[in-house]
Amino acid sequence: MREDLAKDGIDIGGVAGALGGARREAAPMRLLRSVASLKVTLVLIAMLAVGLVIAFRFEHSRIWPMVVPLALLSLNLMAAIATNAVFRRQMPLLVFHLCLVAVLLLVSAGRLTYLKGFAGVTDGAVFDGELAVREQGPWHRGALDEVRFASSGFTIDYAPGWQRGATRNQVLWQTPDGRWEKAEIGDQDPLVIRGYRFYTTFNKGFAPTFHWQQPGGPELYGSVQLPSYPLNEYSQAVEWIPPGSDVAVWVMLDIDEIVIDPDDFAHFRLPNDYTLVVRVGDERTEMRPGDAIALGDGTLTFDGLRSWMGYRVFYDWTLPWLLAACTVGVLSLGAHFWQKFTAKPWDA
Amino acid sequence: MEQELQVLWAAIVTYVVAGVVSVVSVALGKRPERTVLALMLGALALHTFSLGIRWERLGHGPFITMFEILSSNVWSLMLAYSIVYWWLPRIRASAAVVLPIMFVMMGWLMVVHPGEGHYPATYHTPWLYIHIGLGKVFLGAVLVAVGLAGVVLLRRAGLGVARLAVLPGDKQLDELAFRCMAIGLVFHTLMLIAGAIWAQDAWGRYWDWDPLETWAFLTWLTLVFTIHARVTYRISPPVHAVMILGVFVVAYLTFFGVPFVSQVPHQGAV
Repeated sequence: MREDLAKDGIDIGGVAGALGGARREAAPMRLLRSVASLKVTLVLIAMLAVGLVIAFRFEHSRIWPMVVPLALLSLNLMAAIATNAVFRRQMPLLVFHLCLVAVLLLVSAGRLTYLKGFAGVTDGAVFDGELAVREQGPWHRGALDEVRFASSGFTIDYAPGWQRGATRNQVLWQTPDGRWEKAEIGDQDPLVIRGYRFYTTFNKGFAPTFHWQQPGGPELYGSVQLPSYPLNEYSQAVEWIPPGSDVAVWVMLDIDEIVIDPDDFAHFRLPNDYTLVVRVGDERTEMRPGDAIALGDGTLTFDGLRSWMGYRVFYDWTLPWLLAACTVGVLSLGAHFWQKFTAKPWDA
Repeated sequence: MEQELQVLWAAIVTYVVAGVVSVVSVALGKRPERTVLALMLGALALHTFSLGIRWERLGHGPFITMFEILSSNVWSLMLAYSIVYWWLPRIRASAAVVLPIMFVMMGWLMVVHPGEGHYPATYHTPWLYIHIGLGKVFLGAVLVAVGLAGVVLLRRAGLGVARLAVLPGDKQLDELAFRCMAIGLVFHTLMLIAGAIWAQDAWGRYWDWDPLETWAFLTWLTLVFTIHARVTYRISPPVHAVMILGVFVVAYLTFFGVPFVSQVPHQGAV
């Protein structure tokens, strides 16, 4: 799109300068003009396309095949801007290319400071900053530990065939000054707290809740999240160890009803007719809300069943800046072509 | 469903008649341009009616199944070309190139099962219409460029040189094709931006290098490469025409190939 340079007869790669042979340019300037060549641009775009294919085909080598041509393209562009007055006179074109550089820099900054992860939150429990899965850039310095919110229930519509419809999740979240606010989030509407965006996902299910009492110790309340439902309808079991204990407890939710009818329109809901099967070693016990069992180093009481929602967590402070750079860039590109094409009729 | 298919068949037959008239008239040196325009507009009206019936019946637009995507793209591409056909009378003979290309899509559409698919919750957003609408403008602009490039290449191959003489010279066609590619670049860029906004809202990430995103970016690169190459090397109209065809092929694979060989969130598999 740096066509105006070429149109004006300036081959940035091959010509030393406007004065031709009258005055020989300094070596650094000649080098800069070589770097700024439009022909180099073409080669680098082709390199980027090849790098893209490599990155797509080989997951383990996703960074360098993209980063190297992008970095060289940035150099090529900056050199062109620095060496060519013609280029700089085309303001919309210049803005477009500067926006491309800004997008690259912002994406790089975003990769250094991003965070993404996953958290399962049981209804009524408060999210305390702990993520089940966490991936972040080396310079991430967010305040996830200070984020607090609680899910107070959700509804999900299902069409026949378990085709998932709208998700509506009611949440309570804590403002920076400590107040609690209500909100409804769902498919297109994340919960945004301190720059962290929490998205509802297809991962959700049932969570038996317990209180756990060891002799002389405090009474602890907690829940165990069973595998996602209805995706894992026939494997609603998990093994875990109560805090401070060394006894492994295996629990399975045995549901005696159709919770989400696959042949009809339905909603996600808690089952009414169920039994919690608990196995410790070879001993098998069926529990209903209020039942307790002794584990040797404490007493485990089954309080009841709740639901849990899995949230995808995303943090990237560059998002609004990226959108701004992209918007300004594409508007500039449009303005550039508009100026060019309105200068000469289409049916000339 | 029977009524919408019957109306669709009527539309396709009318498109085909328009295409046949275009090709035969160029071959015979005739110019029944008003007839062709009337046929294309009539077919578009029928096609719009068919899409409308389906939309009303299913409660959502033609965005899910291969049948719906092909049908809506045939509609949008024919609409784009009809506008250009009406607006630029001097290039109307390019219909003899463009409409046979459309026959391929129409033939594919006729053999695809017209069943309905699941409309995911993440599709309930205005960004769906913005993203897809921008993509259709992009593809429409590239289709017009392909029509002009096809004329240049036919002349280069010595086919129908006398008959295609009613069109402007290669240089003018090349300039027009370049303008279409430039419009295509602007709208493709807008499509990527709108898609990123939608993806951030729907799936919690603006870009994830899924197959469709990767191919869409590859299409953008081929477009940028073609535009840069034309101005850098002052390439001849036939070479530029071949590059335009290359962009069209990559775009075509992106639009109609990738979404149906991968299980990425673009199909609502979340």
